[in-house]
Amino acid sequence: MAGATRSPLVEGDTTVTDAVAGATVGLSAMLFALAIAALFERVNLTGTVAGLSTVTLLGGLLIGLGVAVSVFGLGSWFGYVETDPDASAGLIAGLGAAVPWFVVGGGVASQTLGFGTVGGVVGGLFVGGLTFAATAVPREDVGSTVPLGALLVLVGAVFLTGTIGPAWIWNLGWEQQASITAEFLVPTATLFCSLYGGWAAAKAYGRFGARGRHMGAYVLIYVNALSIVAFLFILIAFVVVQGISGLLNGAQVGAGVGPQVFGVVELPVYVPFVMNGVALLNDFQGVLPAIVGTIWLVVGAVLFAVPLGVGAAVFLTEYAERGRFTQIVEVSTNGLWSTPSIVFGLFGFAFLIPRFGNRKSLLAGMLTLGFMLLPLVLITSREAMIAVPDEYRDASAALGVPKWQTIRSVVLPAALPGVVTGVILGVGRIAGETAPILLTMAGGTFVPGGQTVDVIGGFEFTAAPPFVANPELLQATSALPYQLYALITAGVGLGSNVTDPDGFRWATALVLLVVVLSFYAIGIGARYYFRQRLRHE
Amino acid sequence: MAQATRSERLNAAAGQQVQRVRDFVDDTEPAALVVVTIIALSLLAAFVGFLAVSNLTALPFALFVAATGYGWVRHQEETALVLTLTMTVSTLLILGLIIVFIFRESVPVLWYESVTVLGVRVPGLRMFIQPNWDAVAPPIRYSMVPMIHGTVMVTLVATAVAGPLGVAAALFLSEIAPAIVREFVKPGVEILAGIPSIVYGFIGFTILSPWASDQFRTTGQGSYLFVGIVVGLMALPTVVSVAEDALSSVPESMKSGSLAVGTTDWQTMTSITLPAAFSGVSAAVLLGVGRAIGETMAATVMLRGVPRLTEPLVNVFYGQETLTSLIARNYGEADGLQMDALFVAGVILFITVLVISIGAQYIEWRMRSKLGGEA
Amino acid sequence: MSDSPQTQPQSQTRTKTTGSDQPLETTSGETVEETRDEWTEYNFDGEAKMVAEDLDVYYGDDHALKSVSMEIPEQSVTALIGPSGCGKSTYLRCLNRMNDRINAANVDGSVQLDGNEIYQDGINLVELRKRVGMVFQSPNPFPKSIRDNIAYGPRKHGDINTGLLARLLGRDDSEAERELVERALKQAALWDEVHDRMDDNALGLSGGQQQRLCIARCLSVDPEVILMDEPASALDPIATAKIEDLIHDLAEEYTVVIVTHNMQQAARISDQTAVFLTGGKLVEYDDTDRIFENPQSQRVEDYISGKFG
Repeated sequence: MAGATRSPLVEGDTTVTDAVAGATVGLSAMLFALAIAALFERVNLTGTVAGLSTVTLLGGLLIGLGVAVSVFGLGSWFGYVETDPDASAGLIAGLGAAVPWFVVGGGVASQTLGFGTVGGVVGGLFVGGLTFAATAVPREDVGSTVPLGALLVLVGAVFLTGTIGPAWIWNLGWEQQASITAEFLVPTATLFCSLYGGWAAAKAYGRFGARGRHMGAYVLIYVNALSIVAFLFILIAFVVVQGISGLLNGAQVGAGVGPQVFGVVELPVYVPFVMNGVALLNDFQGVLPAIVGTIWLVVGAVLFAVPLGVGAAVFLTEYAERGRFTQIVEVSTNGLWSTPSIVFGLFGFAFLIPRFGNRKSLLAGMLTLGFMLLPLVLITSREAMIAVPDEYRDASAALGVPKWQTIRSVVLPAALPGVVTGVILGVGRIAGETAPILLTMAGGTFVPGGQTVDVIGGFEFTAAPPFVANPELLQATSALPYQLYALITAGVGLGSNVTDPDGFRWATALVLLVVVLSFYAIGIGARYYFRQRLRHE
Repeated sequence: MAQATRSERLNAAAGQQVQRVRDFVDDTEPAALVVVTIIALSLLAAFVGFLAVSNLTALPFALFVAATGYGWVRHQEETALVLTLTMTVSTLLILGLIIVFIFRESVPVLWYESVTVLGVRVPGLRMFIQPNWDAVAPPIRYSMVPMIHGTVMVTLVATAVAGPLGVAAALFLSEIAPAIVREFVKPGVEILAGIPSIVYGFIGFTILSPWASDQFRTTGQGSYLFVGIVVGLMALPTVVSVAEDALSSVPESMKSGSLAVGTTDWQTMTSITLPAAFSGVSAAVLLGVGRAIGETMAATVMLRGVPRLTEPLVNVFYGQETLTSLIARNYGEADGLQMDALFVAGVILFITVLVISIGAQYIEWRMRSKLGGEA
Repeated sequence: MSDSPQTQPQSQTRTKTTGSDQPLETTSGETVEETRDEWTEYNFDGEAKMVAEDLDVYYGDDHALKSVSMEIPEQSVTALIGPSGCGKSTYLRCLNRMNDRINAANVDGSVQLDGNEIYQDGINLVELRKRVGMVFQSPNPFPKSIRDNIAYGPRKHGDINTGLLARLLGRDDSEAERELVERALKQAALWDEVHDRMDDNALGLSGGQQQRLCIARCLSVDPEVILMDEPASALDPIATAKIEDLIHDLAEEYTVVIVTHNMQQAARISDQTAVFLTGGKLVEYDDTDRIFENPQSQRVEDYISGKFG
């Protein structure tokens, strides 16, 4: 057919050019890592790496990468490297290359040459447009390497010659003072350059053409995925490292060291941070009231939201005919789900507080979080019930079993795994919420152990309606997320009881993280377990 | 013509409902009917009592519990139906209550901030046309402009972070990752969603803010840029999971069809999968935007808490206040009009996010009916 | 898979065209394998386009295809028939490595295209699938216009440039694209029905038209082999008849391999037929006439006469 290209079906073994292209990708990976390290000041810009000053090293590597990439493209153009390029690198590559050149052109025109903002925009557009043309017009091998290679060489040369050295600074001249410093610009520029270089090198590795693009895109997507996973790990590890010493401060292991539980059993471990409150005479201070408060909050929210949500899901899936009504409920539950948590807080403040003795209370916090949990429970329960095959219902109905009995004995058990998993994950989310309880429950910065809430023991009977009262429920108590917030905003002078306020904060953060993530771990584990069981049945 | 058919349709629908209720009444034994009526009425009475802040609320509630217990034992079918129906109605009711209460609380300050335009008094207009928030010194002004500016800045930065990274990660999870990698990365993304916002805020406050202030030589700490980045990372899991659902819902046969003419996986993704899932992916980004707008704690602890516009407006290196952080920071000392002004911020947030949510649902619904129509 | 065959008449020992006389056991560790039905060497005129040797496919623990060896002659229609779950589609998908899409699939053995092993490192999958095209069971047009559907492959391969950039640079291949699309649609006998609505969405076509569109899409990249996986199973009899005529015409230029569960269809359109029976085994492979009139194996005869399957 017209002009259909034919390439060899089988390609040769790994060649020298492949090895070179692969090494170039590796070089950009190294630059990427160096840039991240420099950004977070793990590598000092003014210091040295491997005997070279950091900026010089970065500049040299950038030039090396730029030259390698360009040589590859030109080598392919002149036929020294066997490739399979398309006619053009394409619009998106053109725009992608034009953006950094626009920044460079704009910066040079407005700052170095002093043409001002308008001049900067014009200069940037000119240089960017030129780059766009240089990328999009020539054949793909040249277009996707040379403009980017030139960028890398330029940036490298700027670093190497000391035009932008470690002491470089550019005052933006804004009313609210701000400057771009070398310690920000150098790593950031290196980071973006390494991504561009890596992309171009990966394209070269894939010998351009469709496979080259595939390679280039995959490199970026893998870097992105890896970064997200790495970010998660670093985040958690960081909190653990910072908080572990505060958490284990004064911890003991051994028979009989722990507090009594249920009045009989003595725990063999004693971790004061999670078993004490704050008191003048305590050797080690802790956050026990906040932990207990969080637990009661979650229990209350679950007791409120789960029956309501599951019941509504049953009605919507089993009884209601699909139509306007179910659609409205669906839209409003999804709307509720995305409503900002602080709005729930405002609602609780306006609706619940006046009805519970005009003050912040545990009960108001429970219900507010329950309102938040409700849409999540409803949505996940509905999904789980819809996933139950209709054959089950038909089979049961065909035996003459009434509807509710069918639901109770067929639909609900089959949907249970989905509901349970959804509820646990939802609980994880609300357990870490601060904003709603800020307005409805609050509590103190440091809470004495004596104020640990005791809901069960708090019930009492009264003579007047409503005859049952529970002052514990109507009292403000603390919860972990709120306590962390209070600790942050309380500033440095945290009071004399706590000797190491920073350690105390980090340990609180760690406990909060552990509590919340254990809900997630249980939820994800439960889902995994149910799925495995389903597979083996 | 259209009017007539519309009202006819409504009449028919209403008639159908009446018919269904009548059928239910006819088919049910009188005793059960009495019980479910008591259940419904007592719950209604309890609700009314609760709204009226009555001490007697507990009485109808106790009756409701008793009637439900009796009904459960004697007439389970009918009780279950009525119970689940009331639960559904309660869910709708909560949304209704939220709307009523946060709007009601914001009314006084809207009157206070009204402006007369062409002889018509427009309540609340002054909150949006002048940029001054001053709750202490006269003239006392509650402008929302600085906070709207802050929220827009943070949301823009957050979307720039969460959008591309989230969609790329969704592509990775749905199309690229080997099964074993997916098995680990997917829960990882969920856990990322689970990290409490106050923990993000704490890290941002203790690590990121001082660092940023040092890097950009700003006076004091707190910048929209870094709040935006943190909020973007928090919105990332939402974008990833919704976009991944959309991408996986593109039929495998369509992808195979593309691969079978000899395209690379990447070409298949950009030319077939992404265009087919485009609406779902944009809904994902929209929901991420909604998340970013509503994010409270990280913004509260990282921002300066001084409601004013940055100078110049594009100065992302300074972070003043967002709608959410205004509420979280000021609820304590606020009362009267200032408290009401916080409710105005809440109303703005609520409406914006609700509109975004409905928009995203509409887009998703269209995508589903389109892809469903093909199958 | 566990059902052992009834006592089979042991027919003549088959000698493979490749000459080597290999023992007929499979690679798995099962002790005594079922004895495979054997048939006389199948000799055909002309060249072999594709050759499969000792091809085994596992889906996890499931041994889906057992030691299949068969040669596919050039420019002819080869039908693969057998009861469902017999591995015929699995075999088909091995020929252009579409099984690579299934994570758990594990392919063992050899498949050659024009003497090139396609299961080796360094194989260019893009090129392979350009040469070995595929048409699927249910029509799967892209949600794009009819023209975009046909031009999709050539555009992606860079043979045709009609994008915004190409137009800006004056490298517009619209004319070539028009010719290519017209030719492919004419080959697929769809041109007369759609030539006046090339910009309509392909999903608006009828099922039969959609399937012919998919065939045209496959032809647009100028393949050498066309694999068809029950291409008419989702269509009505009239559309099926059109597809069958089309397949017949295509065999003049292309090598066609078609999976079908419809024996009459195989008898009508194919030059040679391979019969797969339960357990992923190739039981008999011969000229279509011989298979349907005088099968060598009792099981094939039973299957063809409708006694089981």
